[in-house]
Amino acid sequence: MTKHMQTNENTWEIGGKRLSSRLLIGSALYPSPANMEEAIRTSGSQIVTVALRRQSANVKAGGDFWNIIKSLGIEVLPNTAGCHSAKEAVTTAQMAREVFGTNWIKLEVIGDQYNLQPDPFETVKAAEVLIKEGFEVFPYTTDDLVVAKRLADVGCKIIMPWGSMIGSGKGLMNPDNLIAIRKQFPELKLIVDAGIGKPSHATQAMELGYDGVLLNSAIALAHDPVKMADAFKYAVEAGRLGYEAGTMQQREFASASTPTVGTPFWHQFNEEV
Amino acid sequence: MKIAIVGTGLVGRVLALNLLKQGHTLTLFDKSSKDGTSAAGFTAAGMLAPFAELETAESIIFEHGKRSIQLWPDLLKEIGLFDGYKLDGTIITAHPQDMSELNHFIGTLKHKVAEAEEIEVLDKEALTKLESDLEQHNRAYYIKDEGYVDAQRFMMFAGNYLDMRSEVTWRENTLVDKIESGKVYIDEEVEAFDWVFDARGLGAKEHFSDLRGVRGEVIWLEANDIDITRPTRLLHPRYKIYVVPRGSGCEGMDIAYCNECKISQEPGSKRYIIGATEIESEDTSPLSVRSSMELLSAVFSVNSNFGEARIVNTETNCRPAFRDNLPRIENEEKLTRINGLYRHGYLLAPAIVEKALNEGIYG
Repeated sequence: MTKHMQTNENTWEIGGKRLSSRLLIGSALYPSPANMEEAIRTSGSQIVTVALRRQSANVKAGGDFWNIIKSLGIEVLPNTAGCHSAKEAVTTAQMAREVFGTNWIKLEVIGDQYNLQPDPFETVKAAEVLIKEGFEVFPYTTDDLVVAKRLADVGCKIIMPWGSMIGSGKGLMNPDNLIAIRKQFPELKLIVDAGIGKPSHATQAMELGYDGVLLNSAIALAHDPVKMADAFKYAVEAGRLGYEAGTMQQREFASASTPTVGTPFWHQFNEEV
Repeated sequence: MKIAIVGTGLVGRVLALNLLKQGHTLTLFDKSSKDGTSAAGFTAAGMLAPFAELETAESIIFEHGKRSIQLWPDLLKEIGLFDGYKLDGTIITAHPQDMSELNHFIGTLKHKVAEAEEIEVLDKEALTKLESDLEQHNRAYYIKDEGYVDAQRFMMFAGNYLDMRSEVTWRENTLVDKIESGKVYIDEEVEAFDWVFDARGLGAKEHFSDLRGVRGEVIWLEANDIDITRPTRLLHPRYKIYVVPRGSGCEGMDIAYCNECKISQEPGSKRYIIGATEIESEDTSPLSVRSSMELLSAVFSVNSNFGEARIVNTETNCRPAFRDNLPRIENEEKLTRINGLYRHGYLLAPAIVEKALNEGIYG
């Protein structure tokens, strides 16, 4: 980890915890638990999401997998993956709270079985119930501004719009929508969740002023997940630093940053626009 | 030598067959019955797919797998199972909307081993020529030199063969508490051997603290109208299923094809094993509704005639695995431990046993 990430001014707060890494990482799809462990450690991430599949809800039975997760010593963010209704999601969240001993929950209510698009209506309904029950809700939603508003209305302090469809690796499909949500809710914690395929996508999300990025497949399905975890660590840092530093305004004309006098003509063609 | 093998699942049976050839006297211990039906090796589809497994496995699995494929025919001949092995290749396919899964799959294989460059791409016509009942698919990969072992019949034939040999004493339903160099502990009693093999799988947790069980679920189907002759994998963004043909059963044999199933097989019908879920849980409770829906809807999409197939059996079991999902051999004085074959039992067992013996008792 580089120096600037360790200074206090670069820590941030989410769900009542102060953290330095802005990369949230998933725990599925890795070639092996050992590989997952190494990738997560390498990523420097301090929040790991874990699916509470009902079949493995029995902590004792799923013991070794949870032990590995716990041994990472980072925050666990259980999710409600696989739920299709608010009711189901609330039940799963309650189970997760018991199993993991945390009030954090990544709320994921699926509206379409094939592309796993979130169901905004059920998500808002479930968020309202869970917030009343004292959960810190991390809702996964589309990049729709009105849905984000509804989630904020019911008390969500964190909103996680997608970059693109989950597992698609297409990056930020509609950056303008993400920018609109950021502008509307400067006080909320915003995380881009899903659709990230390459490190540059994560950088782009951070440059938009998002507080963090959540991803899984992009690392777990890489040929070398550990190396890709390292790449994402730097990508997220780079994007955040870029945001904090303030990017220059784009111009509609070429503007040489060095005087053209005395520069060979073939170098002039390389100037960035 | 007077040798003990503790655990008579797949690894224990392959060990016993190897050691008998060298003229040793064997005592076999198992906490369950000798028919082997509670072993993970009995639930397995018995795939021999060193290439296809590379999607999530490391290249060492590939090397061991290729060696096992060379070793299986002699092992099966030895126990009189002459039609329990097929190496006609395997098929990997996906639905048109999931072509990126196929691309990812082949890309991963090529990244891991150079030989993957030779995997053949099939268009609709070539695929239909090879497997007419996969005509619903437009594109597939055909991996030659892959196939399967008839896992259930291997377990039975090997069990019967070992049972008949005078050099073998089989102590079933006997729980071994602890294994040490040349020693087997049962109910506080110690028995001494010239060499002891620990092949207990998940039963060896007292020694391997990092061993875990990974749940797998399979469904047995019987279909009259479908003739798929090669193991076929369907890639899907969320679940990967395989369909492994099991043919028409044991012709002229009086051994039941599947011990568990009570339904007699229709003459001319064919059986298929549909798997395999991977659930990080040491849980052997019956198949869940969710898993059965995933498996059955996927197989229905492979060929809609599966809609008329009969579900003859469902099975669940747990495979022993270490955190790196790689097998482990531990050799010391008068003791060899083999464990963690994970989902690669039939792919690895003969090669790993060979390696363990060469490095240990024959080393």
